[in-house]
Formats: sequence, C-alpha cells, structure tokens
Amino acid sequence: MVKKTVYFDNAATSWPKPEGVYKAAEIYLRGSGASPGRSSYTQAIQVERQVFETRERAAAFLGAARPEEIIFTLNATDALNMALKGILEPGDHVVYTSLEHNSVNRPLHSLCHHRQVTATMVDSDPTGFLNVQEIANAVNPQTKLIVCTHASNVLGRVTPVKEISRLAREKGVYFLIDAAQTAGSVEIDLQDIKPHLAAFTGHKGLLGPPGVGMLYVRPGVRLRPWREGGTGSRSEEDRQPEMMPDYLEAGTMNAPGLAGLNAGLKFIQETGIPAMARHEQGLVQKLVAGLREIKQVQVFRPPGNYPSTAVVSFILKGLDCGEMGHLLEHYYGIMCRTGLHCAPNAHRTIGTFPQGTVRFSLSYFNREEEIDYALQAIREIARGLQ
Amino acid sequence: MVQKCYFTFPTTHQAIRAEKVLLKTKKEFKVVPVPREISSSCGVALCCTPGEAEGIKACLESEAVIVEGFYTLEEKVSAGLLSFLRGREKRGE
Repeated sequence: MVKKTVYFDNAATSWPKPEGVYKAAEIYLRGSGASPGRSSYTQAIQVERQVFETRERAAAFLGAARPEEIIFTLNATDALNMALKGILEPGDHVVYTSLEHNSVNRPLHSLCHHRQVTATMVDSDPTGFLNVQEIANAVNPQTKLIVCTHASNVLGRVTPVKEISRLAREKGVYFLIDAAQTAGSVEIDLQDIKPHLAAFTGHKGLLGPPGVGMLYVRPGVRLRPWREGGTGSRSEEDRQPEMMPDYLEAGTMNAPGLAGLNAGLKFIQETGIPAMARHEQGLVQKLVAGLREIKQVQVFRPPGNYPSTAVVSFILKGLDCGEMGHLLEHYYGIMCRTGLHCAPNAHRTIGTFPQGTVRFSLSYFNREEEIDYALQAIREIARGLQ
Repeated sequence: MVQKCYFTFPTTHQAIRAEKVLLKTKKEFKVVPVPREISSSCGVALCCTPGEAEGIKACLESEAVIVEGFYTLEEKVSAGLLSFLRGREKRGE
C-alpha cells in the first residue's frame, strides 16, 4: 500500500475546491482588485457587479426571497455572533441544544455573564435526535430566541429545523439556524423552513475559500449591528445607514473570497445537491460498513435511515484518538480531525467527553479508493494493537 | 517502557513560534496533536525524547516562547505496532 494524501477534514474546511474557485479568486486579484461599493470607475463597478451576482446566486441557492436578505460575513461564527449579540437584550431568555458548536455556546456564555441573558440547553438523545416537544417545554415567557444547528458536526444527523421553526412561530419567538455543516450538502429552502435568521459559512460545503460567510435576515427582523463604519452609502451621515445589506456590512469586503464563493455556488448548482449527496452518502455507507467490521472500532452513527451530512465519528478502543490521528497522518497521509470538534456537549451526550472521537468528514471530491485505503490503514493499526 | 515528552502552548501561534525557533537548531522534535490525557489550551504540542527535552526547554526559554505545560508520558502505541508502522515507512509505503 503506497502512502497517499487523503483529506477527510471537509467538515472543518472543504478541500480541494472546484477549479473555478481558484480561478475566480485569481481573476479578481489580478484583474480588478478594487473595493466594491466605494467608487464609480469601471473596475470598481465591475467588482460591485460581482458581489451583487454572488449575493443574488446565494439568495437563489438558499431560497431567500431577495438578495438583500443575505448579509456577507467572515464565516458562520461571525454570522452567529452578529445574530445572537444583535438580537438578545438584558432579561431575554434563549433556548439552545446540546448539539451546538462553540460558535453558539461561547457567545451565549458571554451574553449570560455580561448582558443578563439566560439560556436553557435542551439535550439530544445519544443518536443526535432532538425532541421538538422538549424544545417547546424549554420556552418561557422571557424567551426571545431558539437557536439550533442544522446538523451536528460530530454525528452528522440533520435536525428537524422545519418543525422547530413552526414551533418558534407558534410561540412568537425568533428562530436562528446554524447551517455551517449543511449548506451545500443538504438542500436548504429558506422560504420553506421560514427561520428568522440563518448563519452560513463559505469554506465548507459551499466549496468557497475561508473568510466568507453569510447571515440570512428575514425582512422585519431588526438586529443591532455590532460592526459599524464605511459602507460607501450616505457618507455625509454619522449614523449607520439602515438599508440592507449596508446596515450590517461595514468595512471593505473580502472580494476575492466572495468571487471564490460565487464559483463554489455555481459548481454546486451545476452539479446538483442530489448528485453530490448521493456520491457522499455512498462513501459514508461504505466507510461505516467497513468500520463496523473492525471489532475494536465503535462508530457513532446509529443504524437507520435519516438525513445526515458526510460526517463519521468513531473511536478505536485501546488507542487515544489524538494518537490515532497522528498515526493516520504520519504513516498513511490521512488527514482528519480528532478530539471534541468544538462541540463538548455533543460529546457529553454520546459519552465521549473529554477524550473525543476521530472524525472523518467527506466531500464530493473524495473517491471510493480513498475509503478502501483508510479502512485498510485502520485495520492495520487495529491489528497492531492486539 | 519508552517515554515521550510533550510541550504544550496557550495558543497555536506560540506552538508554531516554538517550531520556528527549534527548526534553526539540530534538536529532534515533532509537532503532534495533544494527547487527550493532557489538558491544554491549544490542540498541538511539541513531542521529543526525554534526552532532548532539557535542551529544547532552554532554547524555548531563551527565545521567550510561552510554554503552557511540560509532560512526560509513556508511549501508548505498542512496540509491535510501532515497529510495523516504521517498517512500512522505511519501505517507502
């Protein structure tokens, strides 16, 4: 078995990217290079058109009614901070789940300690299943917001966001989705799910470069901007302009990142999420079946058919998962993530806290041979442990 | 029992600074994920043999690299597995 280079860390950052993503960023940097929205010479307008096109494409892709509902951010963490800190006031209560990433846990912790917000965490079951009734039970008269990930980054299981959204509307509270793990891998139709807010990142399933993300803000939802400054509009006024998207987009944008994101979105639109998901889920099934044949391996993926992302968490009994990650990388060239994956409560729920798991996260660009190779590597390591 | 030493750091920034400093020397070390039994603020550590540890410690101190912790652990990977993996590596597999 010749040592290969295998990238299984797509839930952190997808790689490789479609060819068009590399080209789009290069074309911007070499060819136009100007600030969008600030000047009116031809080259600057060209960049503005490209930002507009990206916004339009993202809105259509995600099912937003209008492009202005999509705000460009640095990543999902940035979008989640904008949403949580822009909407929660002293005295407000928020409901969140044990599947959340630290990009939700930590802003909430800070809001609870410094802005007199209170929070209730609803546990999933060990398979990552969320009971919507338990979320309903956690809502009280002070509740302003429910925030929930669209899929656990440890278990991959997709959460029932449509039902949670319906519950939020019934209870008269806002609903924020963290779609960092799902956008690009699972179909998302914002008109159908009807959240008030949704956070996305460009560098995972959307196949763009790191440093670009998005926040969907439904019309009528008013956030306090936590970043104010130059927008290129209403420059005579000290006050932040209230028109979207300028209201929440102060400062020069990551235009090469957005050019790359546009190309990533285009690739997904042309290939189609169903075809991409079919390929990814085929690989996941092969991987899970192979892992289950190795007796020292425990896979954290419950049997049964439910929508999920291409994330597989497992442990090899008798070997620290950090050590396992190191052996896989050093001797086999397999790159993956080990530990808690910034989601400590999910690991408490499945009983792998604090040691964590080994996580393989796959993409459309992974191949069946890579799964065979990885399974062979794990079999060899497992045999050596005996 | 074979022992291995680990230096941990408060941030990945300091860990990479440590690597940069040590690459200028002839000291032998590896950048590795932090073993789970060690509590550390950042996910990567420097690993070396007990024989190298003192020299590395002095070198990091002299360059004011901020080290969070220092640990000596027993090699958890069995000698059999290690010799198999090293054999693979030697054969260029």
